[in-house]
Amino acid sequence: MTPLHWPSIRGRARADAGPLLLVALVVTVVALLAGATPPVLRSTSDEATRDAVRRAADDAAVRVEAEWPDDYGPNGGRVRAPLLADDVASLAHLAEGELEPSLRSALQPPVATVSSISMAVTDGSVQRRLQLEYLHSGDDGPAVTWIAGKAPGPSTPDESIEIPLNGAPWPMQIGLSEAEATVLGAKPGDRIPVQDDRRTPYDVRVSGIFRPVDPADPAWRLAPWLLQPAANRDGLGSTRFGGLLSDESLSDARLAFRSDQLRRSVRFDADPGTLTWESAQALASAVATLKGLSAVSAERDTSLKWATQLDSVLRDLRNQIATASAQAAVLLIAVLAGALLVVSLAADLLTRRRTPALTTARQRGAGLPTIAAELAVESTVVAVPAAALGLALAAVVTGSAALTWVVPFLVLAVAAGPAFGTLAAARATRDKRAPANRSARRWALRTVLLRRAAIDVAVVVLAIGALVALRQRGIGTAEDGDVGLPAAAPTLGALAAALLLVRLLPAGTGAALKLSLRSRRPLVLFAAARAAATASRLLPALAVTAAIALASFAITLHATTDRGLSDGAWQAVGADVQLTLGTEAAGSTAEIAQQVAAAPGVRHAVAARVVDSERFIADNTSIVARLVVVDTAALRQLRAGTPLAGLPDPGGLTTAVDGTVPALVRTSDDSLRPGTSFRLPLRTNTFTPMTAVGPAPAIGSGDDVVVVDRAAAAAAGLESAPNTVWATGPGAAAAIRATGADGRLTTRAEVLDERRTAPLTAGLVRLQLVAAGTLLALGLLGFALAAAAGAPQRWETLARLRTLGLRPRDAHRVAAGELLPVALVAAVSGPLLGALLSWLTVGPLALNVLTGQVAVPVTVVPWWTVEVVAVVALTVVLAAVVATESAVRKKRRLGDVLRVSS
Amino acid sequence: MTEPLLSVRGVNRTFGSGPAAVHALRDISFDVEPGTMVALVGRSGSGKTTLLNVIGGLDRPDAGTVVVDGLDVTGLDEDGRSQLRRDKVSYVFQTFGLIPVLSAAENVGVPLRLARADPAERERRVNLLLDLVGLAGHAQQRPGELSGGQQQRVAIARALAASPRLLIADEPTGQLDAETGLAVMGLLRGVVESEGVTAVVATHDPVMMALADRVVRISDGRVDAC
Repeated sequence: MTPLHWPSIRGRARADAGPLLLVALVVTVVALLAGATPPVLRSTSDEATRDAVRRAADDAAVRVEAEWPDDYGPNGGRVRAPLLADDVASLAHLAEGELEPSLRSALQPPVATVSSISMAVTDGSVQRRLQLEYLHSGDDGPAVTWIAGKAPGPSTPDESIEIPLNGAPWPMQIGLSEAEATVLGAKPGDRIPVQDDRRTPYDVRVSGIFRPVDPADPAWRLAPWLLQPAANRDGLGSTRFGGLLSDESLSDARLAFRSDQLRRSVRFDADPGTLTWESAQALASAVATLKGLSAVSAERDTSLKWATQLDSVLRDLRNQIATASAQAAVLLIAVLAGALLVVSLAADLLTRRRTPALTTARQRGAGLPTIAAELAVESTVVAVPAAALGLALAAVVTGSAALTWVVPFLVLAVAAGPAFGTLAAARATRDKRAPANRSARRWALRTVLLRRAAIDVAVVVLAIGALVALRQRGIGTAEDGDVGLPAAAPTLGALAAALLLVRLLPAGTGAALKLSLRSRRPLVLFAAARAAATASRLLPALAVTAAIALASFAITLHATTDRGLSDGAWQAVGADVQLTLGTEAAGSTAEIAQQVAAAPGVRHAVAARVVDSERFIADNTSIVARLVVVDTAALRQLRAGTPLAGLPDPGGLTTAVDGTVPALVRTSDDSLRPGTSFRLPLRTNTFTPMTAVGPAPAIGSGDDVVVVDRAAAAAAGLESAPNTVWATGPGAAAAIRATGADGRLTTRAEVLDERRTAPLTAGLVRLQLVAAGTLLALGLLGFALAAAAGAPQRWETLARLRTLGLRPRDAHRVAAGELLPVALVAAVSGPLLGALLSWLTVGPLALNVLTGQVAVPVTVVPWWTVEVVAVVALTVVLAAVVATESAVRKKRRLGDVLRVSS
Repeated sequence: MTEPLLSVRGVNRTFGSGPAAVHALRDISFDVEPGTMVALVGRSGSGKTTLLNVIGGLDRPDAGTVVVDGLDVTGLDEDGRSQLRRDKVSYVFQTFGLIPVLSAAENVGVPLRLARADPAERERRVNLLLDLVGLAGHAQQRPGELSGGQQQRVAIARALAASPRLLIADEPTGQLDAETGLAVMGLLRGVVESEGVTAVVATHDPVMMALADRVVRISDGRVDAC
């Protein structure tokens, strides 16, 4: 290997500073994007973890319950336990001790509670209820100040008294909050007459009036009715009051109630602030272990029974994060591929400019390894600092930068220049003459064509393989760059399709040339001739078309996600507003629906009975599905005015024949199909036979649903008391709030906003837009680079035509005509390819995991946006290229054409 | 006395400025009679190509005038010079300058298309010229399928297509072997006579000089001898 010629390296770099800076810019931008995405994804995952746990609220709390131990005394009565408060506190300590350190650190301090049943206050008032509560948090919390009377004390001086089982109601002392005492008109020493639903009276006495030291103490959140009366907790129009039990009076409450009327539990609220995605993984495992322990110890009545949905929340989150990571990988691969194509175009441009110099160097004895090394030095000096700058910027923006994607891109970007240059130098000095005889020439041509076809076939087969893998296996659970072939499927698909299209370009331009020969307009002929002469250049059209296709793909994903979020919100709520009432208040649901329907701004309001996990039996197989008992005609009418799928009307839905209830069904595994007979087991060890008469739309977040008409259900003796109200119309939310119903109110707008602003979704949507913008910019840059690479030949041809009398302004038109086919192919086929790829991959990409839809979102191609942006952007760049070239040409003397050698 | 077809008077052309200025042409003056062939001779860098550029309106002199067929080339604007090259002046290049994707006949027809000639007339003229340059049997072949000499013949036919008054050729045999070059020279001489065109040919070739009616020698941007 001959030594490197440093002056040549410096000279070439100085002469081509512009293209080299452009390469550096592309590498910087890509390194910034690729370096920043993994840390952003990681921090977004952490944020999503905290957000999911925060939103899950009650579901994310870890609760533990334990039955009371028997308190029977030696005489068959019940024995008062004076240290019961200590037992409850020790339950909290015991539960805390069972928590793994990772789980303990993610939870807030425990709050132990003892809650009685809700009792009716029988003072003549309407629907007042009283529920007794004991709260214990921290050392002695939540603290209160007694502003009248005193703290509840024991009812008897005999702390360990045994009372008969069927004796008079055992007295118990409670404290009332200042607000509640005022409403009840109670003062220390008063009795509050209460009875349970079986009309069994209880002896409740007010010992004092308290004021909370800290009303914001988290412990109060578990029983807010202790501080303020709570409306509608026990049915529409009801008001729940709370009676505070003390350490001393808790023992009396235990005696006053049966074991099943007084529940003790410990609750650990999750502490989202301490969570990260990584810690959540360990947490999920610890929670699963805990719940497993409960199952093992189920035989012991007083053992701890753990209950939480935290593991389920984390499992869903894990699924979402894995999907989002894979989708981010899909977009990153697209951007990296687009950037590599542009870097290759820049390398091609540099090589064209340098071919004479490289050829001369080769002729003067420079070996190919030396030329390659010289070009590699230049390439490294340009690309590596640019990548470092991009990574540094990524670190500044995100706090850290990942090399996973940057390193392979950088290696290829560094290799592109030397590869193109060395190949050009080798070709220029290769002593390979055309064979003398025709058959040998033909054979050589066939060999070239075969080689080219083999490469094309390989690319197409790879793309098809990737698409098949994606469609069969789905996007998978790629994280932090650990991606497989499926994630590259859209990019490979775009490349393969663009390759096939570009291969057709010479035929297209050839046909255009033939047509132009018949034209009387010389400019058309010259433009067509130039286009035909340059159509065989693969890289420019491939790069521009693939980049525009991938940009369209990204923008289509964005539009599909956006629409999916909207559809998902409709689906989750089922209307503009959904009110879900608790069991206690369910009796008033129909009345609420009527009130809402009559309110202004409400189009429709429908009451339904929704049971989330009802068990059905079909062919001896158990199927869990959501049961919806509703006036199907009213629901059909409600849904008709929304984007929701319509409710079919197969006929006969409202009539039960021989006790068999007709139903609309939908199951993810198709276990219930129209025509299937199945059964709904009842608590009475009987069952209600059902027949599927038609398909049901998805209702709510689950995929499996059985819809029956309320009239048919009632006729068959099926429980049909509604517990849910769906309402549509701009005034629906206000109307439901006006009823004062104390249920869970869910509005579509809030669900949509919540989902849109969820960290993972928001992050991915931003990445879709950034990827689309970057790919569009890369496509336009590729177009400009391709135009620059062909500029010398174009100038020479135009200059020669100028010597034949072509006017300068006509030369611009010919130049534009030459560049038009690539722009046209990219502007027309790019968006089409993007749409096709989206259509093929939206399902496997599992966008519905983020949009919250049951089914695959509908692919939304924003044709106008995509086409207008592509056409306008390419037209602007084409005009800019032609204008710039024209300005540059003006600086060159036309006479130089006589000095140009072919 | 016959009016000269080409009249060059006091033409100066300098490239650059200050100490780095290159005086390519210094006070060049000469006339060319119609229907004659003039060989422009000089060493490389003597100013031959610059002078041809100025004559054909591809470049503007700093001073002096060039009159072609009674038209002051130096006073024309860009469109006027384009018109001049379309109607009165044509070029033959050392590197042929054919459009590779067009056949020989289509290449020859390019100036006629620019002149908006009638298609039938264009076809007739193209066939005539291809016949004239001896390539009637190669009309549908593309430049890449022709030899260098054949390509230069196509270029000459193209130069003659619009019936120019002045044919400018810059080293037309520079890329051809001796035998082919001789044939092309003979062809040029022949078309000057048959088409009645006036030709100014920059050359180093003694044979070309011998074929010319007159030789103009240029040295360091000055006319040494006519």
